[in-house]
Amino acid sequence: MKALCWMGSGKVEVHNVNDPSILNPHDAIIRITRTAICGSDLHLYDGFIPTMEEGDILGHEFMGIVEDVGPEVKNLQRGDRVVVPFTIACGNCEFCRKKVWSACDNTNPNAHIMEAAYGYSGSGLFGYSHMMGGYAGGQAQYVRVPFANIGPLKIENDLPDEKVLFLSDIFPTGYMAAENAQIKENDIVAVWGCGPVGQFTIASAFMFGAARVIAIDRFPERLALARSLGAITVDYSAEDVSVLTALKDLTGGIGPDSCIDAVGLEAHSTELQGIYDKVKTALMMETDRPIVLRQAIQAVRKGGTVSIPGVYGGLLDKVPFGAAFGKGITMKMGQTNMHSYMKPLLRRIEQGEIDPSSIISHRITLEQAPEMYKVWRDKEQNVTKIVIDPWAA
Amino acid sequence: MDKNLSNRTETVEPQAASAGVTLDGRYLPPPSDGDGKLWIRTSTLIHADPLELYERWRNLESAPLWQEQIEQVTVTGDKTSHWVMRSGDKSIEWDSEILADEPGRRIAWRSLGGDSANAGEVIFERSPGNRATMVTVLQEFRMGKLTSAWETIVGRNPKQAVIENLRHFKALAETGEIPRVEGQPHGPRGTIAEAKKSLYGEKVPTPRGEDRKAS
Repeated sequence: MKALCWMGSGKVEVHNVNDPSILNPHDAIIRITRTAICGSDLHLYDGFIPTMEEGDILGHEFMGIVEDVGPEVKNLQRGDRVVVPFTIACGNCEFCRKKVWSACDNTNPNAHIMEAAYGYSGSGLFGYSHMMGGYAGGQAQYVRVPFANIGPLKIENDLPDEKVLFLSDIFPTGYMAAENAQIKENDIVAVWGCGPVGQFTIASAFMFGAARVIAIDRFPERLALARSLGAITVDYSAEDVSVLTALKDLTGGIGPDSCIDAVGLEAHSTELQGIYDKVKTALMMETDRPIVLRQAIQAVRKGGTVSIPGVYGGLLDKVPFGAAFGKGITMKMGQTNMHSYMKPLLRRIEQGEIDPSSIISHRITLEQAPEMYKVWRDKEQNVTKIVIDPWAA
Repeated sequence: MDKNLSNRTETVEPQAASAGVTLDGRYLPPPSDGDGKLWIRTSTLIHADPLELYERWRNLESAPLWQEQIEQVTVTGDKTSHWVMRSGDKSIEWDSEILADEPGRRIAWRSLGGDSANAGEVIFERSPGNRATMVTVLQEFRMGKLTSAWETIVGRNPKQAVIENLRHFKALAETGEIPRVEGQPHGPRGTIAEAKKSLYGEKVPTPRGEDRKAS
């Protein structure tokens, strides 16, 4: 089959590789019909996530048709149409039982690496480094899905792939970000980052009853999408804009009830601290650039909530913990507990409450993926979301 | 405490200590390495009945399903067994004897000569609040020939191997399989891929987890 492989920092290539096969009794093989490039794939592309190896197949947002199932998979059969969650969960460990699916104990074959770094390991992820399990990803024509008895969501309607594909990651991720933000009816919510997760976070914040959502970014096409969802937008790169002042102005001086960091470790800033973090990460003195996180903690109202769907990987410098304590804020974060959200969010799509396909800007072939990774990273061509048909010529 | 084996009369080195983590309401830290001995104590929480877990562990001949690079275990007597660990064409062998056997509670063992000098104990106990079963393993290795032989053939530090084996045991008990990535597709690997594989622990074959000969 054809698959998109990580070949080094800033280098991805399409290679002909072996087709995947059933390796464990709960495996399924999926023939992929649509797959997407995620913002978090850029952390791999840019070399921010350790334990990537040349030849690793990328991709964790995908859906397709069941091609084959292992002997213990009773819920799926050949021909079923499924969306696959990017986190792999066993369904029976302490954490799956608590519905903290992304913390599953039994799906990461390389758990010892994460244990060394984080104390404990999270679940395995598709196409996201060896420390996250080393599983081959889905920017390919076929993929092996472990624990297919638990994860894949059957799609039994005739909605096109593009409307349900984002149940694989970014819609649930945006939704959990809003849930983690503890939004109450009539709250004011600020969202940093108007990429795909940010857009779904904005839409979800309104679902939770937010009266006003303030969206912060610098790319006009993304800010326009955010306004189309009903958000007030702040372009932080505009000359006379201070985000903290803007957020005071837009909340009657008290600050947002909830601040959501949908940017994560590669934040960009026009301020001096942006240069500071670039230098420190370049010198390996910190691993992440927590510019947005600092702002979110600073901006949130007293007793408010900071929710973090943006990915962080390592050590952060100069995080204003005194402000967090002084204001008595709550912080919630983590990989998405996918398995809790897929079904209810599918229902919202079926009922026409939201059309996730509206964020797609580019539809491409697998062969075009290497050049589109570059476009995606550099935010060229007004890109907002790239979807791949791995069988298109 | 009856978990302590030191009052046994048939003491032959090496000898298992108690795997318990508390004593008289106090936390008991694991033994420290020294005097030519390496110790590892590790625990996991498993959603399964203590008796079922005990039986899975006590079925020594099924150990190759979940213990890394154990090729074969042959039960040779009421309390004795013969172990073969193999990697490629290299192997080490030893005999083992069960010292304590309490169904649903604990098993203790020690080697009786051969290429490995080890002793260990596993305890199965209901977790506080009866949430699940806490499984604690205490294993002791004599350094020297064992450690070097083990590391050479296993490609894993022996302490880490104990941790990984308990992880496999838990995965198998909770899900009926051991997660694996060996055998999946990938693109061309770089020149240092082999060295990296051993860093990730991917050089050690994942135990097969189920008896495929039966199917």
